[in-house]
Amino acid sequence: MLINGINGVFGSLVQARPPAFVCLCSYKPPSTDSNPTLEDPTPDYMNLLGMIFSMCGLMLKLKWCAWIAVYCSFISFANSRSSEDTKQMMSSFMLSISAVVMSYLQNPQPMSPPW
Amino acid sequence: FALLLDFKATFFLGRYNDDFDDGEDLAEFDDNDFAEFEDVNEDPTVEVESEPPPKPAPSSIPVEDDEDEATVEIEDGQDEFEDADAQVSDMYSKYDKDEFEGYEKTNSPFKDTLIYQDVPAHLQNSWESYYMEILMVTGLLAYIMNYIIGKNKNSRLAQAWFNSHRELLESNFALVGDDGTSKEATSTGKLNQENEHIYNLWCSGRVCCEGMLIQLKFLKRQDLLNVLARMMRPTCDQVQIKVTLNDEDMDTFVFAVGSRKAMSRLQKEMQDLSEFCGDKPKSGAKYSLPDSLSILSEMAEVSDGVMDSKMVHYITNHADKIESIHFSDQFSGPKVMQEEGQPLKLPETKKTLLFTFNVPGMGNTSPKDMDSLVPLMNMVIYSIDKVKKLRLNREGKLKADRNRARVEENFLKQTHAQRQEAAQTRREEKKRAEKERIMNEEDPERQRRLEEAAQRREQKKLEKKQMKMKQIKVKAM
Repeated sequence: MLINGINGVFGSLVQARPPAFVCLCSYKPPSTDSNPTLEDPTPDYMNLLGMIFSMCGLMLKLKWCAWIAVYCSFISFANSRSSEDTKQMMSSFMLSISAVVMSYLQNPQPMSPPW
Repeated sequence: FALLLDFKATFFLGRYNDDFDDGEDLAEFDDNDFAEFEDVNEDPTVEVESEPPPKPAPSSIPVEDDEDEATVEIEDGQDEFEDADAQVSDMYSKYDKDEFEGYEKTNSPFKDTLIYQDVPAHLQNSWESYYMEILMVTGLLAYIMNYIIGKNKNSRLAQAWFNSHRELLESNFALVGDDGTSKEATSTGKLNQENEHIYNLWCSGRVCCEGMLIQLKFLKRQDLLNVLARMMRPTCDQVQIKVTLNDEDMDTFVFAVGSRKAMSRLQKEMQDLSEFCGDKPKSGAKYSLPDSLSILSEMAEVSDGVMDSKMVHYITNHADKIESIHFSDQFSGPKVMQEEGQPLKLPETKKTLLFTFNVPGMGNTSPKDMDSLVPLMNMVIYSIDKVKKLRLNREGKLKADRNRARVEENFLKQTHAQRQEAAQTRREEKKRAEKERIMNEEDPERQRRLEEAAQRREQKKLEKKQMKMKQIKVKAM
């Protein structure tokens, strides 16, 4: 019965039974609006955190904030979906790297550990 | 000139120190102009008190790193000496021999209270002081390395899975691999990469089903944080298969079998399982299934129908790989939390078969492990055909229909108040819109006519209502 189905689609050869009608359905990506719980929120959170930390690092001249921002943008990139556009990723990268560079330009002292 | 100054100072101090000899001093003079003071034991206080300008210099001498800076400071001291020439002579004239008796004893406290400061890190000019930065950069490099390695491993696993399953899929489905980008359904014959750890494959073109979506949900090997978290709590890669069926391909029933944990979780999470399978998950001992598995079913007849010998054979042999198997004609996904005040509609349902399989290896999978999943795919194909043939008997059908009607009724009751409100607001909106239209009409004639039409309509409605009430009264009688 399976073979008949397939042959029905390709329309070849003589078979005893009439070919079964087979419907070829195109792939529809499942819409994320209907099930937001299934989506992984990690890349969005990390993006947001990265931006917050890089702003803190720039405004308050805290080096460790800037470094954490770099890490956050890397983590966001690693977890991102392929459907997400690269502009967002690139802008978050650039912002965090600029935060690090600006902190060191303003204050070339090495970072002191908190202990 | 500076040396001359020093001569003057030493001349005044020479009275207090018998060891001090001018002639010798000349020969002993080196770059460090205070060398003569370092040898003095008896009157160091004199040195300390009479040398207010160069005081910082002695403190820097013991620090080895600062030899350059020490000389710099000494030169500064020398400059200061030049300026303070007059002051020095004045000071020395004040000092009297008698004043300094017993001062030698207070020598040591002064020396002990000298605090030797560490040179601040930014003046040290060595790479070692930047160790935190080096640590950070090393961490970033490690993250990048892990990303590349993890991505490649996931990709290899996905490819291995596809290679071992390709033949089976291509013999069963006309369309294997469609990414949905082209207008017409075209078979790409490749996996669709959604993520670095999720791969999709859409298969269609088979009797008995509309299509099958296979999702390879691997672990996030490309994210170092996830790798570290998995060291605490090991999880495994999963293969999720969702078969959507046409309306005529399945009878009305809801059934699930899987590991105990998965069953209790699904019963809470899934809309249809919570509504139709109210009882707790039952053990599968009746069908000689292993203890680790349990069954959720709408009614016993359904379990008997699904669990035939071949199914039991499949499940028993691969019990460790089966996370959950879920057949449902009322599948609508997990329970959605609706906000208050939103008019609820019954969620759309689709006849679906859901399979979740665990890849053996518990995270440390190798591409060879993918071959062991091929029998499970055979089970999936067998289930599709089986579900098409499975039909409930008359009793079962009645029960199932009653269940569905009950669920719908409950739902309608819950939302009754909200739906009424929604209908009321809609009616008010209509009235308002009509009134506005009438007001906006410029022509008074037309306005009057529209008003009359609206009035007539309202009267008709009232009359209809009265008729209905009369009819109900008559019927009641």
